[in-house]
Amino acid sequence: MQPQVILRSFGYLTQAAGVTIAVSFAGIAIGFFIGALICAARVSRRGWVARLGAAYVSVFRGVPLLVQLLFIYYFLAEFGLDVPAVVAAVGGLALSSAAYQAEILRGAVNAVPRGQAEAAAALGFANLDVWRRVLLPQALRISVPPLINEFILLLKASSLVSVVGIAELTRVSMNIASMTYRPLEAYVGGGLFYLAINLTLAGFGALAERRLMPNGAP
Amino acid sequence: MMRSDRFSMTRREAFKAGLAAAVACGGLFGGARLALADDALAEVKKRGVLTTATEMQFPPFDISDNGTYKGLDRDLIDAVAKEMGVKASYLDLPWTSVLPGLEAKKFDLCIAPVTITKERMKRYAFTVPIADATAALMKRANDASITKPDDIAGKTVGGQKGTSQVEQLKAFAAKLPKPVEVKEYVDNNQSYADLAAGRIDASVNSLPNLAYAAQQRPDTFSVVLPPFGQPTYFSWVGRLDDKSLIDAVNAAILKVEADGTMAEMQKRWFGQSMDLPKTVPEPAI
Repeated sequence: MQPQVILRSFGYLTQAAGVTIAVSFAGIAIGFFIGALICAARVSRRGWVARLGAAYVSVFRGVPLLVQLLFIYYFLAEFGLDVPAVVAAVGGLALSSAAYQAEILRGAVNAVPRGQAEAAAALGFANLDVWRRVLLPQALRISVPPLINEFILLLKASSLVSVVGIAELTRVSMNIASMTYRPLEAYVGGGLFYLAINLTLAGFGALAERRLMPNGAP
Repeated sequence: MMRSDRFSMTRREAFKAGLAAAVACGGLFGGARLALADDALAEVKKRGVLTTATEMQFPPFDISDNGTYKGLDRDLIDAVAKEMGVKASYLDLPWTSVLPGLEAKKFDLCIAPVTITKERMKRYAFTVPIADATAALMKRANDASITKPDDIAGKTVGGQKGTSQVEQLKAFAAKLPKPVEVKEYVDNNQSYADLAAGRIDASVNSLPNLAYAAQQRPDTFSVVLPPFGQPTYFSWVGRLDDKSLIDAVNAAILKVEADGTMAEMQKRWFGQSMDLPKTVPEPAI
């Protein structure tokens, strides 16, 4: 073990960690947006809308992310659609994560006791207000731990975007391993960066959970 | 799970949601452009940029030194692009994505060193050779049981999956008195790491790659001489349809060889200069 290998590559790893963070967060944010829409579709009363949402989840959760990325970047090009690498990477992560986030959100909405919505309706709340003031605030709180879980999983899965030529953290660790012939040091360096990012993410999750408690109780 | 029926979205809300999702998906492909089936060389000259791709994990050909692309391929493609009057751009892709990317027209030329084989010639247009690719073996420096290639009989040898060197190893091993266990890795570094760790007895690769690896870690690795494989060569590859581009690249490579620049590059990266065929050779494998 030669720690100086990690130190010499510290700048390179930091830069790659920045790419990992940027690509993952863009994927998570866009994925949350699409996921919320898919969740809304899935709980829809309209049969065909609900089925459309279910079909989305089946496809994007059922096909490996690696295959989705290869499909977007390489196979769409065969049909004359040349997707830039960054768009393919962020799009692939977002579309895949949306399926998981939709299910997390749906689970959270369903976990709010039915009586809450009924009580609000009995008090004369409009349909939209029932959602806005009663169901969503409670569902959001319930969904924080599994969402943070999903964010961490996605951040690690973002190592796959190297197949479209994005120099993210895992890829750069491999580059360092091949340049220095010191794979152990290179991967330990990359791993420490992942750990630091994910611990920070988990910290924000804990903070969000506390803040979303009723009346800000600890 | 139970579903709330009374408090679900109305049709109009759901329609709006669906529309927004469609727009979001459409936006992802907003940067799309149609691939042109124009003359390849004219297209590159018009753009002023020759787009290339390789896996930057193949020293001494392709190295990503703290993010800067280096190696024989880098020096050579820069010289070739200069001859052609264009600039070169480089994409770092995993090896398994390089040839699919070439076919999907994601770039003009693959500058990863590709061994010329009969099978590959049917699918890709090869340039004139850029280096020797003859397969050789590397062992642990302290392993006295291997002194010549035949000594791997009954031992375990690792190599990168999908490379012609592994195919040559299998053909060579079949003729040995005792069977050789061949372990295939995603890339050569894992093979080298397992060699250093003692899990395998030798690694197979082309002679220039092994010579460079052994030079970087001389107390760990040493090359087994002579190379066991049939004489083979590395070339760059392009698409079969892009004949005009490949011809221009060939002319530029030969010019760089003729004026002595190539020999300088070889000395810098391989430690010695070597003569290469001036035409695409008939593959021996």
